[in-house]
Amino acid sequence: MGGKPNLNGIWESLSTANWDLQDHSAYAGPMWELGAIVAVPAGQGVVEGGLIPYLPSAAEKRKQNFANRRSADPEAKCYLPGIPRATYLPYPFQIVQSDKDLLFVYEYATANRQVNMGKPREAVADSWMGMSNGHWEGDTLVVDVTGLNGKGWFDRAGDFASDGLHVVERYSLTDRDHVAYEATMEDPKVFTRPWKLHLTLYRRVEKDSQLLDFKCIPFAEELLYGEFRKQPGK
Amino acid sequence: MNYRYRLIALAAFAVTVMMVSAQPAAKTATATKTWKQPMTPWGDPDLQGVWPSTSMIQTPMERDPKLGTRAVLTDEEVAQKAARNKQFARIETGSANGRVPIAAGWFDYGKPNRQASLVVDPPDGRIPPLTPEAQVREAARKKQWDEKKDSPDTWLDLTTWDRCITLGPVGSVLPFAYNNGQQISQGPGYVVFRNEMIHEARVIPLDGRPHASPQVRSWMGDSRGHWEGNTLVVETTNFNGQFFIGSQGGGFGDSGAVATDQLRLLERFTRVDDDTINYEVTIDDPKTWTKPWKIAYPLRREANYDYIYEYACHEGNIFMHDALAGARANEKKAAEAAAQKGVK
Repeated sequence: MGGKPNLNGIWESLSTANWDLQDHSAYAGPMWELGAIVAVPAGQGVVEGGLIPYLPSAAEKRKQNFANRRSADPEAKCYLPGIPRATYLPYPFQIVQSDKDLLFVYEYATANRQVNMGKPREAVADSWMGMSNGHWEGDTLVVDVTGLNGKGWFDRAGDFASDGLHVVERYSLTDRDHVAYEATMEDPKVFTRPWKLHLTLYRRVEKDSQLLDFKCIPFAEELLYGEFRKQPGK
Repeated sequence: MNYRYRLIALAAFAVTVMMVSAQPAAKTATATKTWKQPMTPWGDPDLQGVWPSTSMIQTPMERDPKLGTRAVLTDEEVAQKAARNKQFARIETGSANGRVPIAAGWFDYGKPNRQASLVVDPPDGRIPPLTPEAQVREAARKKQWDEKKDSPDTWLDLTTWDRCITLGPVGSVLPFAYNNGQQISQGPGYVVFRNEMIHEARVIPLDGRPHASPQVRSWMGDSRGHWEGNTLVVETTNFNGQFFIGSQGGGFGDSGAVATDQLRLLERFTRVDDDTINYEVTIDDPKTWTKPWKIAYPLRREANYDYIYEYACHEGNIFMHDALAGARANEKKAAEAAAQKGVK
């Protein structure tokens, strides 16, 4: 594609990263009523060096997030996932690449973002998905993400950042059907130093593979607004 | 997007830009002989870019019945429309009585143009009558809406737009008072039609594959595209029976109709010059309308509208909270007042 690697395709992470970025044993899910269905599978972490380097106050907040995850996780509310979480949600996403800008379309919540390959654009306002400016370093697509609003979480375990978050993503094809994905997170309000996560993205090779609708708002409304439902007889 | 704002939005719609003498015509552009369709490196017609629908805001969905089959307004009619609507012009800047200018900076106003309606077929520019079964269905839906809109029992009593779910593949493209950004992205074998309204991105495969199983139903439908010359033709099926189209786009509970899962859309995108894509969509649902009908209008590039910013509608949806919490608070107040009366 214009002399650059061709990332066109439907991709998906096969990992437990969306449950918990860090190494973890299996543990019970937040709802006993669903039994093993929402239990968390054990997972080998994707964080370089094993641990996310939280500042002490942030480590405390992460604990609170974990305790409240059943209703506080933005994924439970069907909110836009932010970057990098969109990449390793358990849903496919599609990269549409031409000789101009790239478009990333995520099945979850129809989240999407343009990656500007021309003159970088400034993030004029914070948003859930941020402002993505890309360039090639050799055969690696490097995407610089700023303007993130800090409301997104990194996973269902409550890992998080603030609106000071700056993410640099790197996408490198290792063969036709695999992408080595790396993201560097920098946020001096939350972390003692920048840290990295590494994942493999797998191409969805089924011939009829396509993104389907996952408009999840209807699945979150009882959680969000249920307390204001009219009670019978009142 | 909530119904309170909507009243203002409707008024804003009517605002005709102050420059009455502006553009001579809104006649659909046709390809000139000198302009050449650019192609992508892999050989498809290149439609990439941001093509807002803003310029058509002043054109209503349906034509004034007085105009009959005349699809183009006269200069005089455009001027009359402007004069008639001048009374609304203060919405943006605040009114003389000092009320807060609620719409300041929020609304787009479009450009004066002579296209008399977005509906171009039937020739009278009016949406065809509903089938008898759809009349019964719609009467029930509208009755429910009238009863519940100001005091919803649950979120289900409000529209899919209020709930920030979607305006669907047609409503998201229709000109409206805000969020008119439409973008086309392309890669080999794919076109993506991206809409600013509630952040849609409809991926359209071009490889001739069959539609997904009829068991797989969705809000945006299942799209398949192909090229006819330089025109992108897209057929969309597999709807979930909740496709809404109103007289002002999607989402107004008291107008329009909800199509069944038999709905089939046929869209055509034809780039006719550097700055214009002629868009048309034929809406066909034999269980809802007595015949297929067509909307057509140009999508035009704008100098300062070259990037689609995020519209996180659901994430910032305080309206749903306020509408439901408000309804419960009113009921509580009424119950307390009734109890008080009982005591006396």
